[in-house]
Amino acid sequence: MLIKLTVNNKPVEWDVSPEARLIDFLREDLNLTGTKEGCGEGECGACTVLIDGKAVNSCLVMAFQMDGKVIETIESVEPMTETIKETFLEEGAPQCGFCMPGMVLSAKGLLLENETPNRSEVKEAISGNLCRCTGYTTIEDAIIKSSEKLGGDNE
Amino acid sequence: MSKLNVVGTSALRYEGKDKLDGKAMFPQDIKIDNMVYGATLRSTIPHGYFTLDLEEAKKHEGVLYIFTAEDVLGKNEHGVLFKDHEVFMSKKVKKIGDPLALVVAETEKQAKEAMAKIKVSYEELEGVFDPRIAIKDDAPKVHDKDNLIVDLHMKKGTVNFDACAYVVESEFEVPMVDHAFIQPESAIGYMEDGKVVVLCSTQYPHWDRFELAEALGIEEDKIQVLNAAVGGAFGGREDITSQIHVAMAAMKLNRPVKVTYGREESFLAHSKRHPMYFSMKLGCNEEGKLLAMESEIYADSGAYASWAPNILRKAMVHSTGPYEVENVSVDAYTVYTNNPFTGAMRGFGATQVAVGYEQMLDMLAEEAGMTVYEIREKNVLKVGSKLGTSQTMYDSIPVDRCLQTVKEGMELIKDIPENPSKLTGYGIACSIYGTGYGNGFPDVSNNNVKVNEEGKFEIYSGFTEVGQGAKTVMAQIAAEVFNVDSNDIEVFCEDTDITPDSGTAAASRQTYNTGNAVKKSCLKMKDFLLEKARIELELNNSIGLQMENHEIYMKTLPDKRVSNVELFKKYGSELETNASFTAQTTTLDAFGQGAPYWPYGFNALGVKVEIDPLSGRIDVVDGVFAQDVGRAINPRFIEGQMDGGFMMGLGYALYEDIGLKNGEMRNRKFSSYILPTSKDMPTLRKIIIEDPEETGPFGAKGIGESVTIPAAPAIMNAIYDACGIRFTKLPVTPIEFMKKFGVQDD
Repeated sequence: MLIKLTVNNKPVEWDVSPEARLIDFLREDLNLTGTKEGCGEGECGACTVLIDGKAVNSCLVMAFQMDGKVIETIESVEPMTETIKETFLEEGAPQCGFCMPGMVLSAKGLLLENETPNRSEVKEAISGNLCRCTGYTTIEDAIIKSSEKLGGDNE
Repeated sequence: MSKLNVVGTSALRYEGKDKLDGKAMFPQDIKIDNMVYGATLRSTIPHGYFTLDLEEAKKHEGVLYIFTAEDVLGKNEHGVLFKDHEVFMSKKVKKIGDPLALVVAETEKQAKEAMAKIKVSYEELEGVFDPRIAIKDDAPKVHDKDNLIVDLHMKKGTVNFDACAYVVESEFEVPMVDHAFIQPESAIGYMEDGKVVVLCSTQYPHWDRFELAEALGIEEDKIQVLNAAVGGAFGGREDITSQIHVAMAAMKLNRPVKVTYGREESFLAHSKRHPMYFSMKLGCNEEGKLLAMESEIYADSGAYASWAPNILRKAMVHSTGPYEVENVSVDAYTVYTNNPFTGAMRGFGATQVAVGYEQMLDMLAEEAGMTVYEIREKNVLKVGSKLGTSQTMYDSIPVDRCLQTVKEGMELIKDIPENPSKLTGYGIACSIYGTGYGNGFPDVSNNNVKVNEEGKFEIYSGFTEVGQGAKTVMAQIAAEVFNVDSNDIEVFCEDTDITPDSGTAAASRQTYNTGNAVKKSCLKMKDFLLEKARIELELNNSIGLQMENHEIYMKTLPDKRVSNVELFKKYGSELETNASFTAQTTTLDAFGQGAPYWPYGFNALGVKVEIDPLSGRIDVVDGVFAQDVGRAINPRFIEGQMDGGFMMGLGYALYEDIGLKNGEMRNRKFSSYILPTSKDMPTLRKIIIEDPEETGPFGAKGIGESVTIPAAPAIMNAIYDACGIRFTKLPVTPIEFMKKFGVQDD
């Protein structure tokens, strides 16, 4: 099935398999392997990408549904995404790193909607992203710091 | 000790940027031309004989070959201690999920479709699922021998509860849980230059190479193990999963072969935390001094031994906690059953027994009319105290400092107003963890140091970066010696062809063991370079030479200098040193007496819990955590370990239920196996306690496991404080809570 979409600011036209999930299309067809598969049932959030600015589990949507959509993955080099990644590094957020791509994109999805999230809003936004290493604290710190760097004014 | 420049700073993670850019390569991310895919057929019954009919499957489109036990060219066995796993099952399955065959096809889809066409016939045997039953003579035999793997005993003094003023006793039951690292297993085998290469995510590449050689029937020098990025491990990547399968397939087909597990298969394939069933009896005198402790421990090893004897030993030695008890009697047994096999998981036996001893202390305090702090203050280990093994504590034993720090922190927490609609409770726990393989086994790490043509230092060691931060920490240790920035150190740890064996990334041993080897080898390199500089600068000796930013100069005449680049031009590959470090422990005697581990790490944790009396939901809403680290190499990483370790203990205490019944894990997906999320995690007040350990690199100890131990018992003690119910069986899910709380209310 032919779809036209934007992936990381580039136009893409692709004949996708009707069975392919978005994660398969990204990893197998476009070789964007930064998007990770941890459970295949939408529980762990490792495969989170942004679709039209909203954080979505790419294992739960089909590739053919993406016609006309704007998709951002962890390979994106948009300035806002880069700022979030840099802050995650400074705050010591990554440990094993497998959940990081999904976390960063959930963080961006939140910050696009809410420039000044408080801790409980941050917790809510990443509650669908499992991490077994960090206890989430440094990730939450990094998201709050990112919002400050990006011009939000967290009270 | 002179001032430290790099050790003690929160250097940024060595490989952190790659991980955040999505560029860190896990095996599942790697594609190789001409690659084919494997799917593993696994047993669906826990115990029985089987036969396979492969005919239909072989005819399926795209199928290249189906591997079974008959295709194993070396020994059809593997295992970290005993070779009791089969690469592919030959006759009898011993648990659900045993590997029966590997179907290799052009695509993953074809491999899975073909796998579904294999006909498996079973002759089911009676299974055994409780170690207390399996140990009996008439129980079904998992292997063709007794189910008892080993029994261990620790006897100090003479236990006499009649001499105690106060005595408490209880039974405890701690569950099987999964490591639940977020990256499922994946591995690729391929042929290159006459070697078989296995690219995987493992905790110990050199051990995998050894096991591969045995099973493949070839020499180790014909095998190269490459460790890709490792997406968490926690002990669950110590036992072989698909490494031998992909290597066999690559050798036979001469094509790259990839095997990637989904989440359910990951649950089925790797080890679990040992369930333990144990009794404890503890007595003290009028003043609260501990006089006697008696315990009987039954550990469920499941179908395979993995590290069972070592885990049992760690449980036994740590069963008195960070306290001195005058007389001790522990009898411990680890037993085969037809359950999923159990092995290493963060804390390695020490996590299980803490759920007991820390609750016993609170129970005894109540009997003796003391506070939970008083009874601990009276009994915590100090310099000169003796463990149940009669090992003497010396040097860095700051458990009392940890306890006092938590006591102060809890006073602040108790000042915060309570939520009137909830039952609120406060609980504390302390813990002890002994580093390393222990028991006199040679616990060896090696490191090589080189100077490259750019004058940079390179370190080579076969440790594993599992997420704990080992690459950064080793770079910091080297940078401290060489007086450079840690970013300037090049670290190579992923390739068995170019690194020496540094043991497993387990037992909290990498910072201590490998850190010591890195430091020793770097000090040798420093001396070596200073001597070469003396020659080049035509000096009488190397006194007063300063090493800084890849140069060596005379402090009194700074123009007299030579750079690493110049030294490399002259001496080239001569600029290489290596060193080895072996930890000092002794083998326990038949009565469990000796010095089995060193060093010991300690901590104390206090938590505030809120319980919703209507739903039974329990939340940890605040906490204070004091962690002994010897010396902090990277404070931010230590805090990251404290948060993550606490959270793993939180899951153990309140959420994680694998639903084990007749050998089957009913909860083997993330939709049913409930892990803590961000909303379950409190913001902990973390305090790093420094008390340098004289044998550690710059005084450092390992903390990777220690940090998880006190969480569950502190939470149990807080639940008791909130509602007066003592939970001795984990996890305390809302249903389990309401079962007891509801009854009490009636």
